[in-house]
Formats: sequence, C-alpha cells, structure tokens
Amino acid sequence: MSKLIELEDICVIYPVHGQAPKTVLAGLHLDIQRGEFIAVCGQTGCGKSTMLRLILGAEAPTSGRVLIEGEVLPRPDRNRGYVPQKYSLFPDKTVLDNITFGPEMEEFNILGRLTPRFFKRRTELRETAHALLQQMGLDPSDAHKYPDQLSGGMQQRVAIAQALIMRPKILLMDEAFSALDPTTRSGMQRLLRTLWAETGTTILFVTHNLNEALYLGTRVVVLGKQNSQGSSRVIADLSVPADARTDDGQLRRDVLDRLIHQVEQAGEPQLAEAYS
Amino acid sequence: MLWRIDASPGKATTWTLSWFLFIAGIAGYFYASHNRHLENPDDKVIPTLNQLAEGLSNAFLKPDSEEAAPEDLANASLATKFFTSMLWTDTLASAKRFLWAMLLLIPAVFLGLHMGMFPVIGQLFLRFILFFDKIVALSVLPILFIAFGIDELSKVMLIVIGVTPTIILDTFNLTKSVPREQIVKGFTLGAHDFGVTYRIVMKQILPRVLNSIRLNLKAVMLFLFAGEMIASQDGLAFRIALLRRHMGMNVIIPYVLWVALLLFLVDLGMKVANKRLHPWFREA
Repeated sequence: MSKLIELEDICVIYPVHGQAPKTVLAGLHLDIQRGEFIAVCGQTGCGKSTMLRLILGAEAPTSGRVLIEGEVLPRPDRNRGYVPQKYSLFPDKTVLDNITFGPEMEEFNILGRLTPRFFKRRTELRETAHALLQQMGLDPSDAHKYPDQLSGGMQQRVAIAQALIMRPKILLMDEAFSALDPTTRSGMQRLLRTLWAETGTTILFVTHNLNEALYLGTRVVVLGKQNSQGSSRVIADLSVPADARTDDGQLRRDVLDRLIHQVEQAGEPQLAEAYS
Repeated sequence: MLWRIDASPGKATTWTLSWFLFIAGIAGYFYASHNRHLENPDDKVIPTLNQLAEGLSNAFLKPDSEEAAPEDLANASLATKFFTSMLWTDTLASAKRFLWAMLLLIPAVFLGLHMGMFPVIGQLFLRFILFFDKIVALSVLPILFIAFGIDELSKVMLIVIGVTPTIILDTFNLTKSVPREQIVKGFTLGAHDFGVTYRIVMKQILPRVLNSIRLNLKAVMLFLFAGEMIASQDGLAFRIALLRRHMGMNVIIPYVLWVALLLFLVDLGMKVANKRLHPWFREA
C-alpha cells in the first residue's frame, strides 16, 4: 500500500473576535494509506471535522502541509468525495439529477449540453444512477423525488451514491449517520462496509460513536486535547483486525481495551473512562 | 372560544371575517356619498354609483379628450373602444416603464449573486451599495431630471436607483446563506467556480430572489408613480395627477382600483410562475 494522504505537522488557529486566537489542531501528524477505512473519533470540538475539511481542501492549515498523493491541493476536487451530516443534497434537484450532476458537470460545458451526445450520455448516466440507487436499497420510484421528500437515511444513501458515481479516490464522511435512527444507522453502516469492500475507495469517517468506529474502520484514530490551551492531536491510532470488526464479542473488546489504554497513556483519563 | 389564541374559526367564520372590512368599507363609502349628495347633488368628492359608472365608461371606452379621436369610433366594437381608451393608453405607457425597470433588475440580481460568491467582487461593491441603499431615491429626483432630462430615462432611473440596491443586497444575502457544504460539494462533483455559481447557488436562491422582487413590486410602482406624477405626458399616475386638478374622483377611484388589480395580477403571475418553475421550493 502507498501513502495517499499525509498530514504534516498541522496547526490550525482560528481568530476569535475580541479574544485570544483559538488553536484547534497543533502538531498533527497522520499518514493514510490507499484503500484504508479510517474512523476518526474524539470529543466534541476536538477538531475532527476541521481535519476532514483540511483533507478535503475546503480549509487551509495555519501551518503544516496536507499532501494528497504527494501534492498540496488547495481546493476540493472531484477526487475527494464528500458526505456531510446536513445539506448533503442539492434541494432543487431530484434524486436522479443529484446523482448525475457530477458526471454531467464534469463532461459537458454549457454549450456541450445542447449537443445530441449530451442527451445520449445523459441516458447512460441515468441508467448508472438507477443501478446505484438499487445498490443503495432505494426504490426506483424515489428517483424523481426531491430531497425534502426523502427520510434522513434515504437522503444519506443518495448522497453516498452522488459521491460514488464520481469514483473518487477518497471519500470523506463527516458524521454522516449521526442524525439517523439506530435501525437506519446500522443498515447504513452495513451498506458502507459493503461498498468499501467492493470499491476499495479510501474512506475517512468522522464519528462520535466508538462502536461505529470499531465496526467500520480498518483503523481508528482518536483526536484529543494535548494541553491547557485545548489544541488537539492524534492521541490514539490503532489498526482494527478484520475479525474484530465482524465479531462484537471478545475480539472487539480486546481492540477497545488497547484503544482505551492508548487514550489513557496520552493523558486523557476522562475520555478513556467515557470509552470504557 | 373565538377570542382565544388557540381558536380555530370555521369556514363560514373565516369567510365572513375576511370579507367583513371590504363590505364595511364599501357600505361606509356609499353611505357617506349618499349623505354628501343630499346636501349637494353636484358633489364630486365622493361620487355616487352613477357617477362612478360614467367615469368608468369614460376611462375604459373613450380616448383621451385632448387627443384626436378616430373618426369611426362611435360604431367601433367594444374591444376597439377599449384598446383606444384613455385607460389602456395610460396602462401601456406605465407598463413600458415598469417593464424596463424590471429588466434592469436582472443585472442587479447577477451583481448580488457575484458579490456573494466572489469575495473580491463583494468587497469592491458592498460598501458602495450599502451607502447607495441609504439614499432616499426621491431626493435625487431633481438631480435625475437635470442629468437625464424629463424624458423616460429619468423615470426609469428613479425606479432603478430606488429598488436595485435592495435587490442587490437581498441577492447578496441569499447567496451568502447557501450552506458552505453545498459549495464544497459542488467542487467535489467536478464543478468549477461558475458551475457552482450558476448551477448550484443561483438555482437555489432564484425562487427567493423572485419573492424578493415580488415584495418590491410596490416600491417599483411607487417610484414609477412619483416620476409620472412630476414629469410625464402619459401614464396611469400622470392621469391621476391631472384629474386631481379637476376633482375627477369618478375616474381617479377606478384608476386606483385598476392599478391595484394590475399589481395583484403581476404578483399572482410571479407567484404562480415561481411555483411552476421551482416545484421543490417550500416557502418558510
């Protein structure tokens, strides 16, 4: 496996009006290999989403470098898919149009949309979108609905399809399942695992839920505060063996214990207690 | 109980309540008119139904008395009479100015959109537009007359100066309110700056922009009427101002109601078009 993402000595400082600047991340190092499924955990406000936005290119670090395949990419692009918790779909487009939006945008400019080739390609893309919808467990009758006519779980399924049709090298998911009810959530987790196994896409999945992280991730990264100023870094980084992911008994318990041990060692006893 | 805040009035009550003030207003008008005409049968201030009918007929079926009437108009059809009438000629004159003003709002929408999307454009224009927005448009009317003369341009410019800053700022704020996630998502789906601007953001804000224009229709008419009343040879407001000198209330009242009807129809048309064009849009 080769390095796909490198976070080198990342520091992120936000200016706060009338107060001292807030350091969110400091001295953050992380290497991510191609094909990994990284689950990122940590307490609220520890910088998980900031880290995701850095990798996405939606935000620049105050210092340090984010390298994607060895290059600094200053803004989001088609190789990095994104599924946020909210606003994941375009409200003015139907499910089908949401899914085909990316390839149509990429392949045709405004004049290209007037050519017969566009209409032919559009038909092909719609077929692909229908197949993806089916793969996501959605009904063909949902294809012409608008996002606000879908449930939260259905919206997130469409959002994943929308990202996957671009065949991105990296898929970044920011608490994508946190607004879902437990049944829908576990269904979505299974679906995501299957999709990851089928496509081999590198996935970064931010979650509050450690059980979810252990079920999904091939590797779990925990961010935590490192000093009184409240800036965060990686305090635990653990590979999850395949058998521990599928087994929710002793094997997973062992991984969890090792993770808690690392968190304790990093000087975060409260977080360790919360996890145990 | 009808007066409680959780009251839910029935259909008949709702209907009665919603029409009550109209009926009371009309009844009050004719009561006052009747009393005034008992004292002075030639009273023009509150015309009777007959006087109003005569005024309506003059406005809707007769050309402007100051203009030469077509010779064979006496035998012409009702439609011909209407389309050569004073009211229709005035409506066309005002509508032309109104349409020009509406067309000039399109660049305002694009400017607001680009100000919201491109920080450099936003920084270039925002302070200037905020300042411009505070200028009372009517106060610059003399300047407009001096600069552009008393022809059509000054009247259209008055509407533009009065309404465009509001539309620009509204569009700017609507653009800014589009969640950042949507823009980032656009980039991850292969869109570039203009793709994100036109195919994601503009499409999402357009129904709200149309609503904003709808809410500003009255302001557009206000400035149009101000311009026409001060310096014009034709138009609905010109006629109202002219008839005021002759106490022609029997024509002024139908004109006022006609303007209200036109504005209502334009508003309704825009509302229906907005709904048809943006079936996904749910008003808050």
